[in-house]
Amino acid sequence: MTINRREFIKRGLGGATLALAFEIGGGSLLLTPQQARAQAVPLQQLTADEAAVLERLAEALLPGAAEAGVTHFIDHQLGEDPGDCLLIAKYFQVRPPYRDFYRQGVAGCEQLAQEQFKQKAAKLNVAQLDQLIKMIGKPGTRTPEGYDLSLFYLCLRSDAVDVVYGTPEGFERLNVPYMAHIMPPEGWNG
Amino acid sequence: MAKTLEKVDVVIVGAGAAGSVYAAVLAEAGRSVLVLERGVERKLGDLYSSQTWARRLKWGAPHVVEDGPDSIWYNFNAGHGFGGAAIHHYGVWPRYHPEDFELHSRYGKGLDWPYSYETLRPWYDQVQKDVGMAGDAKKEIWRPIGDPYPLPPVLVSNHGKVLARGFEQLGLHTAPIPMAVLTEPYNGRPACIWDGWCDAGCPIGALANPLAVYLPRAQQAGARLQGNAHISRVLTDKKGEKVIGVEYYNREGERIVQPADAVVLCAFTVENSRILLNSANSHHLDGLANSSGLVGRYLMSHPALSVFGMFEEEMQNYLGATGGQLICQDAFPKTGNPNGAFGSRQWEIGLAIKPNDLLGIAMSRPDIYGNALHQFMQEGARFLGSMVGVCEDQPMRDNRISLAKDKDRFGQPLARVTYQVSEEGRKLWQNATKEGVDIFKAAGAKQAWHGPMAGQHIMGGTVMGIDRNKSVTNGEAQTHDLPNLFIGGPSVFPTSSSINSTFTAHAVAMKSAHYMANNWGQLAD
Repeated sequence: MTINRREFIKRGLGGATLALAFEIGGGSLLLTPQQARAQAVPLQQLTADEAAVLERLAEALLPGAAEAGVTHFIDHQLGEDPGDCLLIAKYFQVRPPYRDFYRQGVAGCEQLAQEQFKQKAAKLNVAQLDQLIKMIGKPGTRTPEGYDLSLFYLCLRSDAVDVVYGTPEGFERLNVPYMAHIMPPEGWNG
Repeated sequence: MAKTLEKVDVVIVGAGAAGSVYAAVLAEAGRSVLVLERGVERKLGDLYSSQTWARRLKWGAPHVVEDGPDSIWYNFNAGHGFGGAAIHHYGVWPRYHPEDFELHSRYGKGLDWPYSYETLRPWYDQVQKDVGMAGDAKKEIWRPIGDPYPLPPVLVSNHGKVLARGFEQLGLHTAPIPMAVLTEPYNGRPACIWDGWCDAGCPIGALANPLAVYLPRAQQAGARLQGNAHISRVLTDKKGEKVIGVEYYNREGERIVQPADAVVLCAFTVENSRILLNSANSHHLDGLANSSGLVGRYLMSHPALSVFGMFEEEMQNYLGATGGQLICQDAFPKTGNPNGAFGSRQWEIGLAIKPNDLLGIAMSRPDIYGNALHQFMQEGARFLGSMVGVCEDQPMRDNRISLAKDKDRFGQPLARVTYQVSEEGRKLWQNATKEGVDIFKAAGAKQAWHGPMAGQHIMGGTVMGIDRNKSVTNGEAQTHDLPNLFIGGPSVFPTSSSINSTFTAHAVAMKSAHYMANNWGQLAD
């Protein structure tokens, strides 16, 4: 079974609920990453170029991740204390600040895109993007400086899965009962 | 200038599995107890059912520098806040086997414990009664002698039944997995509803995490708990003969001295060694309790693997406990293994699976992406089966915790971990990969595969033993060098076995805490 993007959104993927406190206009607002993206909440940690690359890659890794707000999820969590951070990079013993890990990952992909396709990563066509993902997804792939691109692939893919399937709505799409003892903080149910 | 607080009888560093046991036993014995925890203050109501939010329960800072060939997966294994690592543990509680205590004597390998299984057995029995363990002692044909479980075994869904078929086809045995999870209401705690959120912390207290059992007991008996207490050093008297308390930094960054008659370090494997090494003074130039030079050494982790398979049947893989439904220890004998591997292995069968996270559906096939990943998620939610193999690691002197050059925000050197899976452990893991895939195929899997090697549980670093030149503590977890300094948790284990460490950490702490309570006059002298 193949699910195209339209079907995916139609099934309610846009409703992913992972409410986080986003900084807006000097205050904070509890939003899902999807809502934060839809409202164009300014990014705090990533540059626009970095976010564009992350979003393009994440969408290719799991269609629907862009609209589910994967870049806003990452950006928000990069501002958290490592002890409270919800990014899976933490499990892989990535050294804080995790911002550096994502920046190096983006830079590594940009470098590959230039070497292979003479193009910016965010501008790659579908076939080129697929080739790039295959390259970084190969275990042990590193930049000349030694940065582990395959770990970047693994983490970004997991971030995409978190915002798309790691929520009550994501479970519902899989027909898996959520069975929460305690639902996560206010706002999780949209 | 540090602020000095009023003296207490006992300071316990760390509010995890071992720390909670010490706190309960010593407070109930009438001692004034203060538990200082580096992480946040947390209650059961903070444990959200979400694999994403569960990452707050894991270690994040200060960073542990891992620079060896293999990782011990410190952040994933360690805990952050009240409950420590045990707040997110799976409650799989088999016992160490008698041979695990006598590795060197029986096989000429590794180290010996300072006592036998028979010595620890009453403490296992005591703990399993306290927490309300579930299991079927008769069906566990490998189980060392011990009291029967107080509660009937855990749920076996279709997931467990299908995988058991594979074991049976290959002539292997399975039994209900022994678990510190309530299958019936017990001592005012409710039974599990088999929702698979163990890893995210069990807020109803059905799983015996520290917030559910021993910390409430400790508080009821008057123990005080304090979070955000970043322990920097254990302090000794002017002669360096006894400890007199600890130094820590509080939430506001103030330096505090907490005097105490005795100190128990229960800060988990890496931090215990880091604190001892950072506590070096003019009498203990290489760190406290380190006259043997062994603080930080004999670090161990279990080489583990996940086995996955896609089946024709609906697996109901969302049901059950995160730690599994069944167990097999047929590969426990340490000798006679294929490829000459020395050591034990076990299988934990039928783990409850969530869509995301490290052990979730998506991560079982990290090579799949794009629309194919959506398709895989749909299929995996219905038909994916999983089990985990745990292998024994050998204690090796060069696997160690030392101090890094970099420092934390309070100026204390970070921990540096240098670790390589033992050759024996690697061979056992290779055997497990083949056997695991064979079992899944025999169970009827359309496809079966295994994941990469991962480190599960962390032990050693402050090992116990009889000879003070070859160990850090004695059999009471009392340091050889400083009689009123004790160490709790799996850091005192001289061998790893292939057994999940939390039950044994409880039993060892229970034995030691009773020793302290019964010999308080000498300790406080």
